[in-house]
Amino acid sequence: MTALTANFITDNGVTMIDGLATGVLLFVIALGLSLVFGVMDVLNLAHGAIYLLGAYVAVALLGGGTKMTLLAFGGAVLLAAIIGGFSGWGLSAMVRPVAHRGHLDQALLTLGIALVVSDLVAMKFGNDVRSIPAPAGLDGSATIFGQSYPVYRLVVIVVGGLLAVGALYVIERTRVGSLVRASVVDPQMVSALGVDTKRLVTGVFAAGAALAAAGGVIGGPILSAYPGLDNRVLLLGLVVVVIGGLGSVSGALVGALVIGQIETLGVSLLPDHASFLVFGAMGLVLLLRPQGLLGKKEATA
Amino acid sequence: MRATRTLPLAITVTLALSACGGSALSGGGGDGGSDDGKVKIALLVPQSGVYAPLGKDMEAGFRLYLEENDNKLGGKDVELTVVDEGAGPEDGVPAGTKLAQDESVDAVVGIVNSAVALGLTDSFTEAKKPLIITNAGANDITGKSASPYVWRTSFSNGEVGEAIGGHVAKEVGDGKVYLVGPDYAAGDEFLAGFKKSFVAGGGKIAGTQMTPFGKTTNFQPYLQKVRNAKPKAVFAFYAGAEAVTFVKQYDQLGLHEDIPFYATGFLTEGGALKAQGKSAEGIFTSLHYSSELDNDKNKTFVKAYTEANKVPPTVYSMQTYDAGAVLDKALAKGTGGDQIVEGLKSTGEVDSPRGPWSFSDKQGPDQTYYLRKVEKKGDAWTNVIESELTKPSS
Repeated sequence: MTALTANFITDNGVTMIDGLATGVLLFVIALGLSLVFGVMDVLNLAHGAIYLLGAYVAVALLGGGTKMTLLAFGGAVLLAAIIGGFSGWGLSAMVRPVAHRGHLDQALLTLGIALVVSDLVAMKFGNDVRSIPAPAGLDGSATIFGQSYPVYRLVVIVVGGLLAVGALYVIERTRVGSLVRASVVDPQMVSALGVDTKRLVTGVFAAGAALAAAGGVIGGPILSAYPGLDNRVLLLGLVVVVIGGLGSVSGALVGALVIGQIETLGVSLLPDHASFLVFGAMGLVLLLRPQGLLGKKEATA
Repeated sequence: MRATRTLPLAITVTLALSACGGSALSGGGGDGGSDDGKVKIALLVPQSGVYAPLGKDMEAGFRLYLEENDNKLGGKDVELTVVDEGAGPEDGVPAGTKLAQDESVDAVVGIVNSAVALGLTDSFTEAKKPLIITNAGANDITGKSASPYVWRTSFSNGEVGEAIGGHVAKEVGDGKVYLVGPDYAAGDEFLAGFKKSFVAGGGKIAGTQMTPFGKTTNFQPYLQKVRNAKPKAVFAFYAGAEAVTFVKQYDQLGLHEDIPFYATGFLTEGGALKAQGKSAEGIFTSLHYSSELDNDKNKTFVKAYTEANKVPPTVYSMQTYDAGAVLDKALAKGTGGDQIVEGLKSTGEVDSPRGPWSFSDKQGPDQTYYLRKVEKKGDAWTNVIESELTKPSS
């Protein structure tokens, strides 16, 4: 029995670690999607486009495939976050007029924006795949379970983990966080208490978009950048939100980690069903726990 | 309406949208019929969607041939119109059908996507209009669904795999080879072609792994399976974005140093190779062309193409350049559909940058495949020719 476990670990240990890296990256991307949906009740389908913007910020600054310093990479993350933040701010302003008109209108609007953004990016950078190198010093490999594994992905786990802890702290322990949580549950009441929900909402939108754009740079060395990546990322983000539950940081975290493992360990164990695993899992959650793993029961709207 | 009910809907919408890339028709409208001394050629290549880079190369190749020949094919002035093939059959088939029915167009050249090519065979046969396919590789195009009006200057998928199978079997000797590639029609054909000559050459297969096509961004779980199987070599058949991600991750996960890598040539062609960079070093591929080929025709072709486009030609440029060459011969016979087809039948040997080739009786190229190796030349990575491979049987 123990031999069996040991075998499983040596065979799949690296895969599970990779699942953690994938999950953490997904969390960074999906958190904004989840909070914006939770707080504003806005379905933001432009979220993937913002990730793509971030990835192409990295291409513009670092492209070429040459070596680059950690400082330049950090700078790219920061710049992408700033650009993402402003895009989020702009998006929240554009979405406001349709915020009360149901999800279909919001979906159409944000989807339109997403199509425009990705076409503009394709016009500027072309349709070729652009690779983004990992920063110098982190582009080597480490040995785990006797197998080499890229150091950069380990760094992603650490950085993403820190971001997760930070986000959890802000949402669960600070005053702003408690307002955000309160807005998820009952926005009218928060507004009636004299809180400027408009600013709160814009702030959440901007922060979520900043995270997604930063994720575009951080994920760059793993996923590269190419037209169409935005849809892939958006889709996974939506699945994470469904599985984890809306508007909850811990829900997004759990959802992202689960999807991370399904995308790696699950695929490795059941490779012939790879295309269906993620959506199968989502279907199962919707069937058994429609509010998501950590979602709260819906209040009647 | 609350969130959880709309979310699955949103996901469905996104899925549907990501399946059909954007596209729009472009290119000039047709005026006038085919007067004597004038001929109208339509180039049907992707200008939007994932295959747009290929479309660009194809257009550049065809334009270069026209430029070198005073904009004349078969002594007739050429009016060229470029139409967007889009990302797949949902865009390409309607665009192509329109061209087949447009009487002012004398012949159509291009097509990247096999589903588009197969979807258009009937309309072109009905309209008795020649269609010269300059990329789409499905075996059926010159096989089961062959039509006297559909010709191909590129390759068939099975051949590209078959060309290298025997060589890999010889190289690995007693060892086993792991096969991995995208799970779609072309992938299956590359794989089947490879297996045919590989198994005939005494090769043994360590495992086969097909990955979901166009949906895989992280190859780690598959590469882990490859590693666990401890093969002597890997044979992969990705193209485009997946080729870049696969090759980079193959390197990042440390397989590059341990396991020799063989592939179909599209893995390391054009923009893909540029993005892969050092990760692709030493990969062996099979293809019927490389810009590094050492013959006079290719040297002048590469020089002229590079001067005009700032980048060296790809296999896609060359295939469409050759479509110009065969049409040049065929159009000398006349401009009607049947006359052009007669002309194509008597093309004879084409003096091409890939080396001389001629149409087989299946209307596809009878050509030599080469073993190529990725090496750095100056600042750029290229596919250096190692040797000629045995000609595939088909």
